[in-house]
Amino acid sequence: MTRDLFRLALRNIGHRRLRSWLTVIGILIGTAAVVALISIGQGLQRTITGQVERIVGFNTLIISPRTQGLGQRIRVDLGRLRAVPGVKSAMALRAETAYIEGPGGKAFYNVLGYDPAMDEFTAEFNLTLASGGRMTAPGQAILGSRAARELAAQVGSNLTVDGKPFTVVGVLLQQTRQTGGFGSPGISLNDAVIVSYEDFGALYPGPELALFAIVRLQDKVVVDTVKEEVRAVLRAGGERNASIIDFEDLTQRIRSVVSGVQAFLAGIAGISILVGGIGVMNTMFMAVLERTREIGVMKAVGAKGWQVLLVYLFESGLMGLGGGALGLVFGLGAAIAATTIVSRLYQVQNPITPALSVGLIFGALLFSFVVGALSGVLPARRAAQLPPVEALRYE
Amino acid sequence: MSEVLVRLEKVTKVYRLGEVEVPALRGVDLAVERGHSLALMGRSGSGKSTLLHILGLLDRATTGRVLWDGQDVTGFRADRLAELRGRHIGFVFQTFNLVPTLTAWENVELPLVFLGVPGRERRGRAQAILEQLGLGQRLRHGPHQLSGGEQQRVAIARALAPNPDLILADEPTGNLDSASGQEILKLLSDLHRQGRTLVMVTHDAEAAQIAERVLRLRDGMIAEGAP
Ligand SMILES: Nc1ncnc2c1ncn2[C@@H]1O[C@H](COP(=O)(O)OP(=O)(O)OP(=O)(O)O)[C@@H](O)[C@H]1O
Ligand SMILES: [Mg+2]
Repeated sequence: MTRDLFRLALRNIGHRRLRSWLTVIGILIGTAAVVALISIGQGLQRTITGQVERIVGFNTLIISPRTQGLGQRIRVDLGRLRAVPGVKSAMALRAETAYIEGPGGKAFYNVLGYDPAMDEFTAEFNLTLASGGRMTAPGQAILGSRAARELAAQVGSNLTVDGKPFTVVGVLLQQTRQTGGFGSPGISLNDAVIVSYEDFGALYPGPELALFAIVRLQDKVVVDTVKEEVRAVLRAGGERNASIIDFEDLTQRIRSVVSGVQAFLAGIAGISILVGGIGVMNTMFMAVLERTREIGVMKAVGAKGWQVLLVYLFESGLMGLGGGALGLVFGLGAAIAATTIVSRLYQVQNPITPALSVGLIFGALLFSFVVGALSGVLPARRAAQLPPVEALRYE
Repeated sequence: MSEVLVRLEKVTKVYRLGEVEVPALRGVDLAVERGHSLALMGRSGSGKSTLLHILGLLDRATTGRVLWDGQDVTGFRADRLAELRGRHIGFVFQTFNLVPTLTAWENVELPLVFLGVPGRERRGRAQAILEQLGLGQRLRHGPHQLSGGEQQRVAIARALAPNPDLILADEPTGNLDSASGQEILKLLSDLHRQGRTLVMVTHDAEAAQIAERVLRLRDGMIAEGAP
């Protein structure tokens, strides 16, 4: 029986195809926008988390000052951190301002204490050499491009850093970005003089004050447990202002930012689906008016109020669903087109592909059906409540 | 044996048009017996259609009682009346009133849809009736593809689909040429002869002759032929 009422509704839609199409355009566009935004958002999230996972990895803790800013340092003790059970390695980046004398000039520069173990990160940060090689022994330094130019130094030149002798073994490529990826504000790699972590410790004895530290964990350890241990070690060393972030925290942050933006945009687009619902309501009111006599006939041959109601609810729900289904297709198409164009334009290394989840498909279809059906409630109730004789007399 | 199918007791009907009250029926007592046939005549506006609608449980009396098969249905809810209509009463209108978006076949199926008759049985019954009425070649035609006489036959087939006790026809030949009109009258009188109860509104004294009894309405009251 319900199926037959459903078929009646289908027939009604089929008999005014053009108007049905026009009616569902609102819902179609709304659904398309929602689907496009959400699938792009989910794809973006996946790409970013993938990237973070590749760079940082699951088994990494990043220790940095809770408040970012020039001169902010954390006090670490790499020796004690390495001794924490579950820790595979620990490294840090230190920085101080030092007086440098080179072959052709003298001035203050940032000296960085750099642990070669960090190389696995620097690849991502574009810390590439223009000439020379890496540091292999104590007393060696790598210069930023501007520092090398100003000091008139090149590979093989001798310098003094706060009076201590160093030999230049490499010069970095010119960096375009301010921080060169180290994420510490105010330090330009172009102005940097990089020495080994050990040499830096000899230059500046005393507490290890670092810009940030990275702790690698052994496989199959409970991240939270080690994290607490690390925190305890930092505390014991007098550092209370450090934040310790693991992969989970990072992806969580990314996810919350992306989904916040996404929810906002999808919410706006969702409103357009509701507006589309008003179009459906309008069409349904017109349909009920036009078919008043027909409704009278249905009642004369024994249709009950709820049966008439169902026919019209199905009809409006189907229009919603149709708009939603088309919107889904168009939305996904738009998302693929948009991400392809953006990836080409900006030559993204890891192209974003829109993610279409089962939840999104069913959610979009269900929402559009419900909006359609709800828009039909008032017109359908009017149809159901029409007194049969009056409906039959309607011209 | 003269079992009463519908009985009206002191039925009045007043239409209200804003402030104005239009009395359409002013105290009608009437009994329609099972298997009988009745023609309702009278001037335009005398209340024939109104009376037919109340007999067919399509409209409610303003005052008075309506008894269907001995049961007072005056206070029944709309859906219960619809159920009774669907099962026991078939309407035939002057303007045919076929659903334009449905085929002849589907129009005849319609009352059975609302009764919840399963699809296969429904289609079979509708087809059989249409074939009986000589419309076997017109099953899949839409109303606009049929002549007036054919449309009215489809409408009669639809009225017959639930195998009703009572057929109500409101000027069934009013929109037809005389030849098609004759056919329809013949069909209705055949139905009556096969034992169906028939109440027909007509302007045409000749048409009224197919009925056993002719009732004349004047100003909302039965003027002639009352029991
Ligand atoms: N819905 C309505 N609202 C107001 N007045 C109505 C309504 N239906 C019928 N009437 C009035 O009630 C009276 C009886 O109407 P009814 O349709 O029963 O007459 P009838 O005998 O069938 O006339 P006809 O031969 O023209 O069909 C008329 O005066 C008509 O104007
Ligand atoms: Mg009339």
